[in-house]
Amino acid sequence: MSEKILLEYTTEKAEEPIISSITRQTDIPINILHADLTPKGGEIFVSIDASEEKFEKIVDLFKESGVEITKVKEGIKLDEDTCLECGACISLCPTDALSLSDEDFSIELDEEKCIYCKACIPACPVDALSIESF
Amino acid sequence: MSKKEVNKSVSEINRKIEEGNAVVVTAEEMVDIVDEKGKKGAAEEVDVVTTGTFGAMCSSGAWLNFGHADPPIKLNKVWLNDVEAYAGGAAVDAYIGATALSESERMEYGGGHVIEELVRGREIDLRGKGYGTDSYPRKEIETSLTIDDLNQAILSNPRNSYQKYNAATNSRNETIHTYMGTLLPNHGNISFSGSGELSPLNNDPEYQTIGIGSRIFLGGGQGYIFQEGTQHSPKTGFGTIMTVGDLNEMSSDYIRGVSVRNYGVSLFVGIGIPIPVLNGNIAESTGISDEEIKTNIMDYGTPRREKPKIREVNYKELKSGKVEIGGEERPVSPMSSLSRAREISQQMKEQIQNGEFFLSKPARRLSRDDELKPMKQTSPSPVAKQLMTSEVLTAKPPDSIKVAAEVFAEKGFDHLPVVNEENKVIGIVTSWDVAVALGNDKEKVEDILTSKVVTAEENEPVDSVARKLQKHEISGMPVIDTEQHLKGIITSEDLSKLIRRGRIE
Repeated sequence: MSEKILLEYTTEKAEEPIISSITRQTDIPINILHADLTPKGGEIFVSIDASEEKFEKIVDLFKESGVEITKVKEGIKLDEDTCLECGACISLCPTDALSLSDEDFSIELDEEKCIYCKACIPACPVDALSIESF
Repeated sequence: MSKKEVNKSVSEINRKIEEGNAVVVTAEEMVDIVDEKGKKGAAEEVDVVTTGTFGAMCSSGAWLNFGHADPPIKLNKVWLNDVEAYAGGAAVDAYIGATALSESERMEYGGGHVIEELVRGREIDLRGKGYGTDSYPRKEIETSLTIDDLNQAILSNPRNSYQKYNAATNSRNETIHTYMGTLLPNHGNISFSGSGELSPLNNDPEYQTIGIGSRIFLGGGQGYIFQEGTQHSPKTGFGTIMTVGDLNEMSSDYIRGVSVRNYGVSLFVGIGIPIPVLNGNIAESTGISDEEIKTNIMDYGTPRREKPKIREVNYKELKSGKVEIGGEERPVSPMSSLSRAREISQQMKEQIQNGEFFLSKPARRLSRDDELKPMKQTSPSPVAKQLMTSEVLTAKPPDSIKVAAEVFAEKGFDHLPVVNEENKVIGIVTSWDVAVALGNDKEKVEDILTSKVVTAEENEPVDSVARKLQKHEISGMPVIDTEQHLKGIITSEDLSKLIRRGRIE
């Protein structure tokens, strides 16, 4: 099971190595997809590939460390009725989440691979790509 | 199999279509047929090959006739959903061009979108102005109408369906936005257009069957080729067609307005040409495969008419999604829809099989000798070296910041290029950097220099230099030769000399 979560923390927590210590405690690697740090605190967007049990444990550990957690349910969306199937988005995707189908050259979106970098969104000539803001 | 050469006529093929026994295949299917049966065998078996392409065709637009108002107006200016259409014809005729921008929404909406909305049957707001005469006293009009309210709505495209397109990449160290889409820095991606073995003109590159009057699939309806397209350049493999068709018959599956980021608006047009397989030679040319269709990847990072070629590539490689440049695989984006191109070829195949689409023998074949001329410019665009200051003071990395500060103070300069032993530009220091550094106890130029320098090449047109100044919000940049050697410095002040001469705005 791969889950994507958004971690929000305040500046007081910034000096604590929370992610790496949780990784060491649980032996589950945490992949940082996107980080936004400001003087007021920060947001780190991570993906965790773990069993449900382990995942819940990681969530508890983050909560104990004073980090707010939001599970990201919605991700990037491709409106297939609007899509022209041109492919302008494909080469901008750093993780191959968007690709051309081998079968019929239609555009395929693999949400699992998406890291929400948003590079594809403005490249779409018909605004068929959008993201639920997190 | 007889030894006689195959020699069919268009009317023979039309008779077969009428009788429901014409053999129709798509250009993709024809590749294997020619491979297996040879050109003669394929010509004996197949009567028609269908092609298709669906991409941005900027040189598109529609003639609209609104009918007369009461009291009548001679439209002198007219806007449709706030996009200006050309009204320089008769009183209530106008041409809406695909790339015209909305006055209010600019690059978000334009002529291409208006055409799509007409096809979808949506209501369009019309605003018009006249000058008032005895025959046409009215000076202003505002109304709303749909395609059903118009007398005519004729898609009329000066240049469609290029035989071949260059592929694009970007050598610059910044992202650029082009008609070939977003191009990432340092050849980070490649984009291409055209449908390769499905491409209409590629299947009959000698125009043996294509010409004025050829009936084609246009935007979901039936249209015609009515002339060579503008910039038709068959000698270099860049043939084009001018097309016309009734917008009322078309579908929004194959007519779509698009907005290409930081470039402008356009219209995606679906086109297919049916090719009658009259003889073995035509069978052979329709058997062309993606692997045999080659194009060049050009560097769109160069803002000039002539762009440097990076490498040759074929459509099989392009369609695979990864192409190598400089030893590294780069992701590839098609800019035109390969899936819809295939759909068009299949739709046309079905229409011909069902007796709904007949072929037409052209009144005249497309010309094969036209060549493309560049614009004659009575005053050539000035280049950086003509305006730059060539006596430039420079700094070296180990120099003291104080020396730099003195230069700024005494000479009144704002930019100090930093060069290495070979006089190659490796950084820049501005008066602002120095002012900040003096407060921070830094000592050497190398501690404060900016190594990512925006530069101008000495032969770069000033329009391109002005664009860089504006884009990066800077006031000047070093001018270099092709090997990075410092040749001078050019500032917004140098460019302002041109404004006084009325050269640029």
